[in-house]
Amino acid sequence: MMFDQEILTHNLMKDYIRELAENGQRVDGRGFHEYRPIEVLNGTFTKAEGEAWLKLGETQVLVGVKADLGEPFPDTPDKGVFVSNAELLPVASPTFEPGPPDEGAIELARVVDRAIRSVDAIDLGSLVILPGKLVYMIFLDMYVLDYDGNLEDSLTLASLIALGRSEIPEVELKNGEIEVKESKRKLELKDIPINFSFVKIGSKILLDPTIEEESVSDASITVAINKDGKVCSVQKRHGTFSVDEILNIVSVAKSKWPELASIVREAI
Amino acid sequence: MPLYVERKPESLITEEGIRTDGRLPHEMRPIKMMVGVLEKADGSAFVEWGGNRILAAVFGPREVHPKHMVLPDRALVRARYNMAPFSTPERRRPGPDRRSIELSKVIREALKPAIFTENYPGSVIDIFVEVLRSDAGTRVAGINAASLALASAGVAMRGLVSACSVGRVGNFIVVDPNHDEDMWGDSDMPLAMMMESEEITLLQADGTLSEEEFKEALDLGRKAIRFVYEVQKEALKRPYYLVERRVV
Amino acid sequence: MSDLVFVRDKEVVIPGQPLARGKMRPGKDVYVDESGTIRSKKLGLVSLKDDEVSVVPLVGAYIPKEDDLVIGIVSKISGNTILVDIRSPYQGALPIQRRAERVDMRKYDLRIGDVILAKVRSFDGASSLILTIDAEGLGKLEGGYLLEVDPAKVPRVIGKRQSMLSILKEATKSEIIVANNGRIWVKPPSVKELIALEKALKKIEEESHVSGLSDRIASLLSQELR
Repeated sequence: MMFDQEILTHNLMKDYIRELAENGQRVDGRGFHEYRPIEVLNGTFTKAEGEAWLKLGETQVLVGVKADLGEPFPDTPDKGVFVSNAELLPVASPTFEPGPPDEGAIELARVVDRAIRSVDAIDLGSLVILPGKLVYMIFLDMYVLDYDGNLEDSLTLASLIALGRSEIPEVELKNGEIEVKESKRKLELKDIPINFSFVKIGSKILLDPTIEEESVSDASITVAINKDGKVCSVQKRHGTFSVDEILNIVSVAKSKWPELASIVREAI
Repeated sequence: MPLYVERKPESLITEEGIRTDGRLPHEMRPIKMMVGVLEKADGSAFVEWGGNRILAAVFGPREVHPKHMVLPDRALVRARYNMAPFSTPERRRPGPDRRSIELSKVIREALKPAIFTENYPGSVIDIFVEVLRSDAGTRVAGINAASLALASAGVAMRGLVSACSVGRVGNFIVVDPNHDEDMWGDSDMPLAMMMESEEITLLQADGTLSEEEFKEALDLGRKAIRFVYEVQKEALKRPYYLVERRVV
Repeated sequence: MSDLVFVRDKEVVIPGQPLARGKMRPGKDVYVDESGTIRSKKLGLVSLKDDEVSVVPLVGAYIPKEDDLVIGIVSKISGNTILVDIRSPYQGALPIQRRAERVDMRKYDLRIGDVILAKVRSFDGASSLILTIDAEGLGKLEGGYLLEVDPAKVPRVIGKRQSMLSILKEATKSEIIVANNGRIWVKPPSVKELIALEKALKKIEEESHVSGLSDRIASLLSQELR
């Protein structure tokens, strides 16, 4: 939805941003590989087991993790269930309409989910109560509150923080009856897979695009890096990239991982 | 299979009128309101009311899409009430349910009388109420937030709409029912008014109330609404006062 | 009835707030209720002039007026009409027809996404908004960038006798055109000046109700552009 999104771009915006990019500059004065200020708000905003309200520049997202009990998927009887969902709330942009998630929202949720799942950041095996019959179901609900570009990275950061903060009630089986105990256990993040989103404008590659940069870009891509510096998931969206460009992108993403990972750790 | 089981409290209110959260019948829960929390919306507000966390945003007046819904002589007013999946102890499936659709309608009808829709013919004013955390009284908190969002978007209005719920628990008429009272109490009555004219724009009730109880509830509601109005007024003016103090 | 004024000049008032009663006359963005009290329609500043009480809104959508200068973005070209977004509930229509002999028709060679400086020729208040680019100086804008402020703040960005606009232009050495619909075309020498302008505009939006703004803007700009 983001790039086919009809945010009203005009030719001056296109020309100016391109010209600046050719000269190594951005409209907000940032470096090509610089993130906008990231802030995690204090307070309780939901009834989630773990939550995070995060700002990336003027983009704002709210992620909540909820736990429930249910049956595992038939093909993975020894794993808990993990479901991700993203909503582009109409409050976030004049261009978002109320309604079920469209292809953009669905892709967003899947890109965040993929980063988390590919490295087993949540140990789904530890969420089994009775194999094949009863497991924890973890719901990751991602709400976009204010859209100013780069929802992938902001939602991933907020999701990791929300998951890392999550505490789920412990459950015991007594004579075939489920007893929910008072005590809680932490969900525990086993890894910190972070998504890094880039756009290409002309021949230049920029990290953490604003909404204007996204809309005038020729191509966009998101790469996830984990704690071992491995590439754990990639999603190219519109446009084209050369092999060299992609290798360079991976290298930049790797170099930025420590900075963002420490933000996640501190927030948890 | 829920991880959360609700249990009805032993007693909802003592003989002296002490409620499950320690309040007396005429005591309200703590309320905090602020405007301007979102950048892209034309107007926005955030309300903390007891355990409620409610976000409201307004876009408009703006062009109508689809075009066939245009009203040639006034603005169209649309409202959407939505609860987040993580707003309740048990996760809610995303998407509107019947209750949300009803609340969207009553919220629109609570706010529309306050708007000078004839000032904006052929346009639409969109109001969104997002319940991030639910703790009884979300529709009235949402109306209060939406009034602020409308005013802070610069929409021409007769005045703010202020809202509060009242309820009956046993023999007591209580203001601002909490979750227990909402679930297990004897009556719940959300009320909204335009302060200036004291005209009621929202009135719903369930449960049973005798005529005297109904009158007492309305009176208590009006008093509570006067208090809510002052909180709203302060929230709207606060950014300007803060700037004044910072600058001088 | 005696004159009763409940507020001071330049006080911040909210919709519905009682402003005055009696011999005071209602001005802009106020209404008179059933009891004869003049009340504000909007969030704004009170303006008391002689016996008239008005409210100057602090925020609000752009409602077009004849002769207003607007900066629009071409959104659609349909037959003989160019449709233009002017950041308003009302879409502008630019008919492709010459209204005077000396108009260069090449002005109408516009593409979707082009930014134009236009005037409001007429507006019927509800659906028909006609723009014109015939006059000298109107037409497609080349180069530069577009910034936005709340339309209600445009007068403050311009200032009395263009005083604020002059400060902005001189300090940033930029070409600047401020349109009534809250769009501002700027051509700064470099990104540094663009960022300084954005900060200045944000400050004007936040502090427009506190006097002495010109000095504060001048000092902000000199700090940013040191």
